[in-house]
Amino acid sequence: MTTLLFTHESGLAHVSPLGHPERAERLEAITAALAGPGFAALARRAAPLADEAEVLRCHAPEHLAGIKAARPERGWSQIDADTYMSPGSWEAALRAIGGAEAAVDAVLSGEAANAFVAMRPPGHHAERDRAMGFCLFGTVSVAARYALDHHGLARVAVLDFDVHHGNGTQDLLWDEPRAVFVSSQQIPLYPGSGHADETGAHGQIVNLPLRPGSGGAEMRAAWRPALARVADFAPDLILISAGFDAHRDDPLGGLNWTEDDFAWITGAICDLAAKTCGGRVVSCLEGGYDLDALAASVAAHVTVLMERGQ
Amino acid sequence: MSDISALSFEEAMKELEGVVRDLESGNVELEKSISLYEQGARLKAHCEKKLKEAEEKVARITLGPDGQPNGTTPVEGL
Repeated sequence: MTTLLFTHESGLAHVSPLGHPERAERLEAITAALAGPGFAALARRAAPLADEAEVLRCHAPEHLAGIKAARPERGWSQIDADTYMSPGSWEAALRAIGGAEAAVDAVLSGEAANAFVAMRPPGHHAERDRAMGFCLFGTVSVAARYALDHHGLARVAVLDFDVHHGNGTQDLLWDEPRAVFVSSQQIPLYPGSGHADETGAHGQIVNLPLRPGSGGAEMRAAWRPALARVADFAPDLILISAGFDAHRDDPLGGLNWTEDDFAWITGAICDLAAKTCGGRVVSCLEGGYDLDALAASVAAHVTVLMERGQ
Repeated sequence: MSDISALSFEEAMKELEGVVRDLESGNVELEKSISLYEQGARLKAHCEKKLKEAEEKVARITLGPDGQPNGTTPVEGL
């Protein structure tokens, strides 16, 4: 058994306007970090192009049509105050979904123990009818529905440790009793949701607000009981929305996590997966905007996935 | 953004309430959200400083041996 890395050069062709924090250099920094000698055993796969109909597992047809129509021939089209499309964005977004679904296939077939999908744009802010916060489609939610409906799993867990609340995932999975969603986020911060009283239509959503300036100790105290709840849910697969912007050096967040904290939460999730679902974990990149912190944190995250995947 | 140090307590509170409202509304851009939060933190610190200054100005009336007021002394420990 091994750990798979899914990525694709199209992730670099989703180009943001100059000065935008969600930029192609993020993926270059991750690729460089995962090219080091510690990652020689990491098996690499190209993220395949998903059929656009996969988007409809979670999004309204009007949303898919709207994003398709917004593809610019050159330059950018602006989707919301934060969110842009360049000519390469459509393929990148569909390969992010394709990579996540191929990772689900590989982990469920036993080809790999776990997988990391290094693609952009990120996805966890995209709601059923709306792209926002750098996100076009809810990649991880689509992969969760794919695991449930295509592979016939009974239950999946989606765990999100990005510094911003996964409002899109919450929206897409609000009325999905087969998916538990746990999300930790700084409050107050964009997008303004993610309070503890937002619990989903079936009580299956768990929000863990974190105080600005808080660090690894508070994060661990919040996640330990939440992971125990996920264990009781007994998921057949765990998906991670892996944002690395809770790092203390990140310019868009105000938390104080370090690489050790990302390693800890990765290990804790892998421990849970080992108990409930044979270690099956698919992790997908979300945020993280300081290039050095992002590269080091992804390296810590993937190192733990590789250790647990052996 | 106004110069926070020049704001009165009431002005700073009003701005802080606006910042909190914006942050909770979800209508703030992702990229600007953290700087808005930081502005809120500065406004909160300024409000706390103004409160402390006001507290230090609160004086306790002192009484003379005949039981009549004869002056004031700063209040400790507020």
